[in-house]
Parts: sequence; C-alpha cells; structure tokens
Amino acid sequence: MTRDYQGNDMIIAKNVEKIYPNGCHALKKVSATVRRGEVVVIVGPSGSGKSTFLRTLNQLETINGGSISIDGTDMYDKKTDINQLREEVGMVFQGFNLFPHMDALGNVMLAPIKVAKRNKADVERQAMELLTKVGLQQRMANYPSNLSGGQQQRVAIARALAMKPNIMLFDEPTSALDPEMVGEVLDVMKSLAADGMTMVVVTHEMGFAREVADRVLFMEDGQLLVDETPEAFFDNPSNPRLQQFLSMIL
Amino acid sequence: MFAQSNRWFWHGVFIAVLLGMALLIQSSSSHINYNWNWQVVKPYLINTDPLPVFASEEGTISANATGDLVLRTDAGDEILNLSAYPELSVGEGDLVFEGEQLASQPNWQMGPLLKGLVVTIEISIYSLILAIILGLIFGLMRVSSNVALRNLAITYVEIIRGTPLLVQIFIFYFFIGTVLDLDRFTAGVIALAVFSGAYVAEITRGGIQSIPKGQMEAARSVGMTYIQAMRYVILPQAFKRVLPPLAGQFINLIKDSSLVSVIAITDLTKAGREVVAGSFAPFEVWFTVALLYLVLTSSLSWGVQRLEKRLAASD
Ligand SMILES: Nc1ncnc2c1ncn2[C@@H]1O[C@H](COP(=O)(O)OP(=O)(O)O)[C@@H](O)[C@H]1O
Ligand SMILES: [Mg+2]
Repeated sequence: MTRDYQGNDMIIAKNVEKIYPNGCHALKKVSATVRRGEVVVIVGPSGSGKSTFLRTLNQLETINGGSISIDGTDMYDKKTDINQLREEVGMVFQGFNLFPHMDALGNVMLAPIKVAKRNKADVERQAMELLTKVGLQQRMANYPSNLSGGQQQRVAIARALAMKPNIMLFDEPTSALDPEMVGEVLDVMKSLAADGMTMVVVTHEMGFAREVADRVLFMEDGQLLVDETPEAFFDNPSNPRLQQFLSMIL
Repeated sequence: MFAQSNRWFWHGVFIAVLLGMALLIQSSSSHINYNWNWQVVKPYLINTDPLPVFASEEGTISANATGDLVLRTDAGDEILNLSAYPELSVGEGDLVFEGEQLASQPNWQMGPLLKGLVVTIEISIYSLILAIILGLIFGLMRVSSNVALRNLAITYVEIIRGTPLLVQIFIFYFFIGTVLDLDRFTAGVIALAVFSGAYVAEITRGGIQSIPKGQMEAARSVGMTYIQAMRYVILPQAFKRVLPPLAGQFINLIKDSSLVSVIAITDLTKAGREVVAGSFAPFEVWFTVALLYLVLTSSLSWGVQRLEKRLAASD
C-alpha cells in the first residue's frame, strides 16, 4: 500500500466501463477526479449508473475497462490487496445493511477487531466515541431491530468510520428514511465534511448538494454529463439534459 | 365464551380419538389371542439379576477376629471377607470347593435394549458431527463462485439424494469399507454422515442464500475477506434460520440410523430384533423400541427449541 501518498487526487477514475453479465451497459467512459477533502455529489435519474459508479470505487463491482486509482494506488494493479484498499474506503448504503445479530457497538467494533486486529479495549473506546459523535451514546446496546431508520444509518456511518477510512462513499443514504429522520443523517454527513473527509455522495437531497458539495456531477444513461461547482450546476446549467432533469425535481 | 367451549370440545375429541385408537389396538390384539405382558420387557432394559460370588480357591468358612465371616484356605490365609454381601449361600464351618458359589451381589446391568440404545446414540452423535462438517463444507462450496467447487458440491448432493440410504450403507460397508479396511461401526457412521451431509449442505446453502446480499457487501466494504464475512456476518445469521430444518434433518438421522442394523451393528433396532426372537413378546418389545427412539428424537427437538429461543432473544 502506498499510504505515504501525499498527492491531492484521492480518486482518479479514467474511462470506466461497466457491462453487467446480463449485457446492461451501465457505465460508459466515466472519468472523474476527487481531490483530498472534497465533497462530490452525484445526481441523476434512476438507472443512470450512479450506484454502479460508486460501487466500482471500492470494487463491489469490477470494471470492464478504464482504470481507477484510490489514494495513489491503482485498484487493478496485481500487487494491490483489495481488502486493504477497501479499509480506506468507507461505504454507507441506502438500506443501512447493519449486521442484525450484533448490537450497535458490536456493529462498529467488528471490523477493527477482526480485520485490523486492533486491541479490543482501544476499539471499544473508539467505537463509543464514534457512536457519541453520531449522537447515539444512549443506543450503543440496541440491536438494529430496535433502532429507527435514522439511527441505523448513523450506526452504519460510525461502522464505516471505525476503519479510519480516507474516503467515504454514500449511496442514497437518506432515501430509505422517513422525512423527519433525513435531517439527523445529513447533519452527521455535514459534520464529516467539515472535518475534511473526502466524500462521494449519491443523493436526491439538492439542499445538501448546494450547501456542502464542492462539485456536483450529473449522470444519465451511464454517462457523466456534467461536473460543475454547485453554483454553476444549479443556477446556471448549460447542459440541456441537466436543465430538463432539474426542471423535473426542483 | 363461545370460542372457549369450542376449544374444550376439540380437546375432548382429541382425547376420544386417542382412546379409541388404544381400544382398537387392544381389541385387535385380543382378536388374535395376544396376551400383553409388559413385565417381560424389563430385564431386556435393565438386568437386575444378582451376580454370584465364587470361591477362588478351596477352603473353609470361618469367623475372623472382628467376627466377620471369611473364607480361609487350608493353609490359613484369609482370601475373601463375606461381610460385604447381603445374601450368603454358605454358613460358618462349611467346607467349600474352588468355584463354589458363596454369595450373591445385587447388580444393575444394561439389558440388550439399553445397550442398543447407547450404540444408536453413539452412531447418531458421531455421524451428526461429521454431517455438520461435511454439510458446511459442501454448502459453502455450493454457493462459491468457483465452478469446480460448485459442481463438485452439486454432484455430491445429487448422487446422495438420488440413491437409497440402504444401498449407500451396503456400498460403504462392502466396497469402501473393504478397500479402506473399516470396521462395521465406522462404515455405518460414515455412510450415515455422508448421507445426512448432503441434506445439511442443501440446508446450509438455503440458509446462506436467504441472507440479503447487502450483508456480504457491507462486510466486504469494511475490508473483510470473503471468509471473514462468511464467518462473522453471514453464517451466524444463516445458522439461526437453518436451525428448524437442521433439527428435522438430525431427527431423520437418528431414525435412519436404524438402517445400519443391516450391516450387523447392534443398535437399538438390531437389539430389538434379537430380543424379540427370545422373548415371545414381539409387540411389547417393538413398542418399547419405538418409545426409546421417540425419547431420543423428542429430547433432540426440545434441545433445539431451547437453543432457538436463546438465539431469538438477541434480536
Ligand atoms: N447487478 C446488476 N445486474 C444487471 N444490471 C444491473 C445490476 N445493477 C444495476 N444494473 C443496471 O445498471 C443500470 C444502472 O443501475 P444503477 O447503477 O443502480 O443506477 P442508479 O443508481 O443511478 O439508479 C440500470 O439499468 C440497472 O438496471
Ligand atoms: Mg442507485
């Protein structure tokens, strides 16, 4: 691993192609760069390949062409240990995907103990800190089935942070939530952004994009069509497809 | 109120049907002039015949210094103190020959049926453990993305499920047992384990596939290897789900173990057959054998149910 990489490009995706085994061409020459500390929001209609692109960034999906490098490491280099690379890239899912057989603390502690093989007492202290940070100090012993959606998603964020990642990926983290719980999750994400975390966020929360994002990307039909600052993106969209999309959702 | 009395009515029906069936058995056995004699079964379960105590050398019975009756040789050595035995067949001053019975000792011994039960339990436990190991390995191979592993697992499951257990037992005993020089007990255990293992593999596969895909993805996304994700995330959840079908399979295993009697292992069924031949009480013996199997299987399902409750408490 090149942990000593000090360059500023945390994610470099070049001409990424993804064709699913069923023939669906989900990504067509997608290229994007995310710099250290940047928050990049991806928007686009359903089925445009946003999730697929995000999932190629920690190799939950392998790619059929192009290249991806994470923090200076070429993901498809033969010497790259993908499990080690994944430790650097946290992911938060739309459906939370908490481990239902463990309480909140157990969810957060599992990977640091079993994967990073860190000392249990240290891990526990850190896990409690993280759960406190996401506002769940009262819920550490709750099983996922006894947590609300918003609470579950915050545990999921703490779980991803426990591996001390340099990059966080969010795939529609608030889409499965009741409206009154969206805010609590977005607040946690905002504070992460303020701490300087590099983040790639797929979301329909345009307020979050406008307020927090450094850049907003627009995808449609497997292509990355727009890569702009929030101001240019929302106030001055030049791409006609984007204009159409914005007129539908705003 | 109405629902209550209705319920009692159907409880009544249930008991009436049971009584009717008991009556039917009773009347049909009297129809063939069968005399029920349950007493006959007892010695085949527990043998309480007293054990005789024999003289190991010839000598005389006499009292020693503390007043206990002892056997002395002609040379005067005290070789056996009889005070420990409640029932003596000799008295002070008797001359005894070598091999003569001096006393009897109360005794509890397992009768052939209980011995058979123990063999059945042993066979079941060994093959159950082996079946779990086989089932886990082949179940994991079955869901692997490696085609060779997956096809091997499919072949194993299909061959085992497509042939009768009795035939498999013969093959294991006569062919594999001969080639590998296995004793009949080992051959029987392996045959049962390989048979049940195929079903456990299918149950394992079903359990793993019933866990949502997001669980594996979440586990991999925090850096776990496939094996770690299986071990810490997928299998613990799958285990909870497969417990009921697994329990059913293990109950089948206990029952199927009766088939190993065909390769002359004296399990509960074989013991039953032997006892019937000498007891003139075939009905009582077979009912007893059935009851013993029922005790085994119901304690197993009781244990599994408790385990299920304990696991369910965690979520
Ligand atoms: N596992 C899969 N197998 C086949 N096709 C898929 C799979 N996942 C997604 N797709 C297809 O790829 C395209 C992009 O999907 P996705 O990345 O989920 O879009 P989005 O997240 O923007 O809604 C869609 O047409 C979808 O049907
Ligand atoms: Mg999506």
